[in-house]
Amino acid sequence: MTSLHVDRLSVSANDQVLVAPFSFSLQAGQCLTLLGETGAGKSLLAQAIMGTLPAGLTAQGQITLDGEDLMALTLPRRRAIWGRRLILLPQEPWHALDPLMTAERQIQETYRHAAGHDTERAVRYARQDLVSLGLDTAGARLPGELSGGMAQRVAFAAARAAGGKMVIADEPTKGLDSARRDDVVAMLKQTLAEGGTLLTITHDVEVARQLGGRIMILRNGDCIEAGPADQVLQQPISEYGRRLVAAEPSRWAPRRQYSRPDAPPVIEATQLSKARGGRTLFSEISLSIAPGEIVGISGPSGCGKSTLGDLLLGLSRPDRGQVRRAPGVAARRFQKLYQDPPAAFAPHWTLDTLLKDLIRQHRLDATRIPPLMDRLGLANVLLDRYPSDVSGGELQRFALLRALLLDPVMLFADEPTSRLDPITQQETMALLIELARERECAVMLVSHDEALIRHSCDRCLSLGNAEPHRPVPSTASSLPA
Amino acid sequence: MTTFTLTPRWLARRPNARYMGLVLLVLLLLFAWLTPWLFPADPARQNLLHTLATPSLSEPLGTDHLGRSQLARLASAIRLSIGLALLSVLSAAIPGVLLGVAAGWRGDWLDRGLGLVADCVLAMPGLLLVFMLAAMAPGQFWSLYVGIALVLWVEYFRVVRAATRSLVTSPQLQASRLLGFGKVYLFRRHLWPELAPSVLTLAAFGAANAVLAVAALGFVSIGLRPPTAELGLMMTELLPYYQEAPWVLLQPIAAVFLLVLSFQLLAGRDPR
Repeated sequence: MTSLHVDRLSVSANDQVLVAPFSFSLQAGQCLTLLGETGAGKSLLAQAIMGTLPAGLTAQGQITLDGEDLMALTLPRRRAIWGRRLILLPQEPWHALDPLMTAERQIQETYRHAAGHDTERAVRYARQDLVSLGLDTAGARLPGELSGGMAQRVAFAAARAAGGKMVIADEPTKGLDSARRDDVVAMLKQTLAEGGTLLTITHDVEVARQLGGRIMILRNGDCIEAGPADQVLQQPISEYGRRLVAAEPSRWAPRRQYSRPDAPPVIEATQLSKARGGRTLFSEISLSIAPGEIVGISGPSGCGKSTLGDLLLGLSRPDRGQVRRAPGVAARRFQKLYQDPPAAFAPHWTLDTLLKDLIRQHRLDATRIPPLMDRLGLANVLLDRYPSDVSGGELQRFALLRALLLDPVMLFADEPTSRLDPITQQETMALLIELARERECAVMLVSHDEALIRHSCDRCLSLGNAEPHRPVPSTASSLPA
Repeated sequence: MTTFTLTPRWLARRPNARYMGLVLLVLLLLFAWLTPWLFPADPARQNLLHTLATPSLSEPLGTDHLGRSQLARLASAIRLSIGLALLSVLSAAIPGVLLGVAAGWRGDWLDRGLGLVADCVLAMPGLLLVFMLAAMAPGQFWSLYVGIALVLWVEYFRVVRAATRSLVTSPQLQASRLLGFGKVYLFRRHLWPELAPSVLTLAAFGAANAVLAVAALGFVSIGLRPPTAELGLMMTELLPYYQEAPWVLLQPIAAVFLLVLSFQLLAGRDPR
């Protein structure tokens, strides 16, 4: 029987404690979810248990797997446990898979080399795994040709092929849309049903709810609340826990009705069509957006949401159709917010340098910055930092600041909060909407989270599923109670 | 208390290889440029009464087979090698980087056209191209330099083109473009910081290759003509006397070795 006991485990760097002493124990068939914001030290805990902490970080305390003290083992002995008894399901699996090896071969490899089966068996078992995970057709494909959800399943099959029962899943649903997320959760629950033990690390409250079991809420390296999932998620005791649960988009306060002024539209598109790689992404889309209006764009991944944005922003040309912007409005007043904030900044310069460049380029009034920074909750000290040294939420607000300095009339927000934790997401969305309304800036909000769109947008445009363009009026009455 | 690290620290960080390369290069530069000040002697002046003299106070490195001051000749040869190396690196790097950025940025026909030219140059044996130019203008300084630069630019072009191509479609560049920044800005803030480490590494390797190429050409008597003091030429001239005066022959060899070593150490990139 698998059992994992962690006793007073802490992680520190140069005498600075990053994760406070932390204890729990798990038996076969049990499930524990560590819930918390990015930077709460969740991933460090997983690495400490695996024994893969980056150089310079040290773990203290006791980790006992099936009665064996892991901390006393040498690195080669610990390596021998990986895969065979202890499995790590990594974040963003397409980074964990070998990009040049087909899905089936990667699973075979574990059977062959980690589990020690002969080639013939390895081939057979790998086939079986693919079939049982619903990936029959994906075996011959390379990771780059798999969708996020499929890659996650392949990575999982490869990880557990050596027979490990203790599974650590580090943000297994990061970057997946809600349908794929539910698939991954179902897959994890399947291992529980098969007698496995599960330690999941996530910032997604919904994942924690679906998994059930026990939950620990982490913040700044401290465990601030623990208990059975129902209890913690229904009636959180700690103030932070309450905020975390309330930050789920489905619990947001209903949006205020926005009376749409009959102003001329800021942007209009007629009969837009675009194909990529021989596949039609969308055809004959027409839309028109009024100043200050917030329009959601939803649809499964790969359905051309971002491409539509590129067309509207003039970054690429439609195959057919036309985009018309309001006459007399400068091109720079059509701006975009990106999914991954650090990717949207030049990484080698401080934020101050980048902001000053912008001021100089357009001869803007530099005195507008301090009040805007106050408004966005950005401290002055952040200006001297590099984009990589600022948290995702802060950087996204910087991106918003950068856009607002140019007085935008339209902001295309491409999943602006999908990489942020729930509380930061709620704050960022609230700011975005408030500022957009105030400045009559239209927002096109791309998201795979339907609840988020329902709670923040005036109307929604669904792409994909071969459905024709159909604006779905959303009303506050459609909220779940 | 237990510490787990996947790579031993000494492997993860090679101490100061770059720094050592820099120190070595500065010492060579000092030697090459200070010697004419401290020991003024004409590298071409012969003194047949003092051939192959052993090092002494008046001739710290001895004399060669024609009684010329070995110190003055060596300093002059190193000046020539470093000068030629830097010149050819600059004239290969600047067009290489600019063409690479242009090809990666515009893509399409410009990329294909420049790529074809680069492939053609690559298909030609580099040394042969230099031979050809040297044969067209024998003993001329420019023919060596143009030949080496023509061979070297392709490396910069290919590296820069590949890096530019992936950066051009990146969100960071797109964001800056939407914010209204021009091409010069995009190059300065986005492209150059990403390209600089590889370009500088290539430049250091290129300098080492240029030093070797010049010496090799001199050694087979194709490059510069006597009485120019040139490291490869000195080796050829001194080779017949290796039994009588091995220390004299060893001097240009050591100079080439140290020059190449210093550039190679400079090129050694710190693992991130």
